[in-house]
Amino acid sequence: MNTQKMTNNVIKERSIEQILEEHTHTVGKPFCENPKIRAKGVDVFYDDNQAIHDVSLDIDRNEVIALIGPSGCGKSTFLRCLNRMNDTIDICRVSGELLLDSYNIYAKNQDPVLLRARVGMVFQKPNPFPKSIYENVAYGPKIHGLTNNKAELDYLVEDSLTKAGLFNEVKDRLDAPGTSLSGGQQQRLCIARTISIQPEVILMDEPASALDPIATAKIEELINDLRQNYTIVIVTHSMQQAARVSQRTAYFHLGKLIEVGETDKIFTNPEHELTERYITGRFG
Amino acid sequence: MWYANTENNMINTTQKVKNSLKKRYLKEKIFKASGFISIAIAFLFLIILLSDITIKALPAFIQTQIELEMDLNAEELGLTQTSSANEIKKADFRKTIRDALKKQFPQVTGRNNKKDLYSLVSIGAEYQLRDIVMENPQLIGSKLSVKLYADDDVDSLIKGTIERNVPESERRIKNYKLSLIEALESNGQISKNFNWTFFTSGDSREPELAGIKGAVMGSIYTILITLMLSFPVAVAAAIYLEEFAPKNRFIDFVEININNLAAVPSIVFGLLGLAVFINFFSLPRSAPVVGGIVLSLMTLPTIIIASRSAIKAVPPSLREAALGLGASKMQTVFHHVFPAALPGILTGTIIGMAQALGETAPLLMIGMVAFIVDIPQSVTDPATVLPIQVYLWADSPERGFLEKTSAAILVLIGFLIMMNMIAIYLRNKFEKKW
Repeated sequence: MNTQKMTNNVIKERSIEQILEEHTHTVGKPFCENPKIRAKGVDVFYDDNQAIHDVSLDIDRNEVIALIGPSGCGKSTFLRCLNRMNDTIDICRVSGELLLDSYNIYAKNQDPVLLRARVGMVFQKPNPFPKSIYENVAYGPKIHGLTNNKAELDYLVEDSLTKAGLFNEVKDRLDAPGTSLSGGQQQRLCIARTISIQPEVILMDEPASALDPIATAKIEELINDLRQNYTIVIVTHSMQQAARVSQRTAYFHLGKLIEVGETDKIFTNPEHELTERYITGRFG
Repeated sequence: MWYANTENNMINTTQKVKNSLKKRYLKEKIFKASGFISIAIAFLFLIILLSDITIKALPAFIQTQIELEMDLNAEELGLTQTSSANEIKKADFRKTIRDALKKQFPQVTGRNNKKDLYSLVSIGAEYQLRDIVMENPQLIGSKLSVKLYADDDVDSLIKGTIERNVPESERRIKNYKLSLIEALESNGQISKNFNWTFFTSGDSREPELAGIKGAVMGSIYTILITLMLSFPVAVAAAIYLEEFAPKNRFIDFVEININNLAAVPSIVFGLLGLAVFINFFSLPRSAPVVGGIVLSLMTLPTIIIASRSAIKAVPPSLREAALGLGASKMQTVFHHVFPAALPGILTGTIIGMAQALGETAPLLMIGMVAFIVDIPQSVTDPATVLPIQVYLWADSPERGFLEKTSAAILVLIGFLIMMNMIAIYLRNKFEKKW
């Protein structure tokens, strides 16, 4: 019975391939005035496989923008272009224009070390260093020489942990290994580590996908607080999460940016057929 | 259709699984049992080997000594209590010992019988006496009783390796000498003591004087040179190949050659050492420095391969964490990847070192097989190493060297166990969990 019904549905609707073929440009509002990051015609290749097709997207200052889409749609790849983490993959090639303020991220003379100090990143799986909690947060400021003495460093570590909402939980055991914390705490430690070097943009690659609902709620709250000072780009699999934390949402499908718009609008009244199908859960 | 009747089908599945369970468990049992038997056999052989060596080695740790009354007559020795060390060195202590023996056995006459009498004590006994006097010149002019090393044949007889009740023609010690020994024995002048000589002296042609210290020091110097050369070079090579090297044909070629190098017979490295380091660079022969260089060439591929796999096993998330914070490649490698890989690198290094410690063939080619009595004082002194000492002693015809060979093997095994324990300790110390 069930099988039959599903088959009928597919026959009734146009196939995804068909829709994608007809798709020529991003619908919605991908551009804004004076963006923090501007992507223009970005293509990414892994060897001969094109992972991202001609993506143009502006990321506004002090906004949280969520990148959503089914698995393998290129949202993580796009995110990793923004701080050149893709450089670590030998076969990865990026073309097009990516601007941070007015600096070209992929310019020859753009130093990836400097770029990554300005564009921090939080990864899918919490990855604290196998060192103490204190050392985890102090590492970034130390290598960049941000503080002049121990007292300043202590203050910076405390401040970062406080901003990440972790200080009260760990203040008595800053010497304990970072890996001894729970998953959610580890992820907040990673966020504290990222904000310790005061970046301008924070990239988050599914930061809550490995966490339980309570830890997830804490991370989301934290993202909301961080918005005051940072521009945040977050990749997420959870549409509810995108709806809760972001102001704008970008929907990717098979390497193409299908639709960008206010989060409310995307989730209540999407313009594009694929977006609608995705958020109503008919594939993904 | 097969899924038409679900209920029936489920019963079928349960039945089928049940039927196959027995077979599956049997397979598991057979596998477990064969694994256990393999371990038991391996363990049994190890026990047999070790206990055989230990039993054979035990007599080497005991030394037979003959206690004799020495008359350090100042006139006969031509010494006074104020004589210098050089004068004492030249004095004839052999005569003192022979006089003591003659005094004990006044009935011995005739050339052959006297020869038997004098050969009761070791050739080294006079040096033993000389050293006692050198240490304390006040003894000159006095009488004292000294426990002198017994000759190796006497030693063997006392330890029972030469049997007393076989016919004289088949016995190494003839009846006359045997009567002398038994006279000393009944007099309580023969004693068995712990063999310190074995641990404090170098090699000798006389089993009762031969010691392992020269070879131990040679091995330590050689291993130190090997470690100092191969560890930094191998680790640097591994880090470069794993983290920095571009992916191209040249690097592939280098990789293949490193793997090939690990398979080169070790004696080839010895030939290389002879041709390059001794003949071309004129480094000293038989010296630990050359041995160390040759062995480090041999251990390099082992350490490189182990280090590379340790570096490869560091989770990429750790690299990403550091890179994402703006650490440079170099900082990422040395602050995070290297410490995380260190336990594996150390394990590989110790395995390489243990391999080098037991290596004989390449050292034969560079002259470390020479008979060296002096204990080496530096890396350029002629020396030999433990496995070669085993080889040399195993090759000696004297009975006393049989037990020495086993004892040297025990010392070598002791060394290896110690190095492995250090490896385990270091690994546990640097191991971190994430």
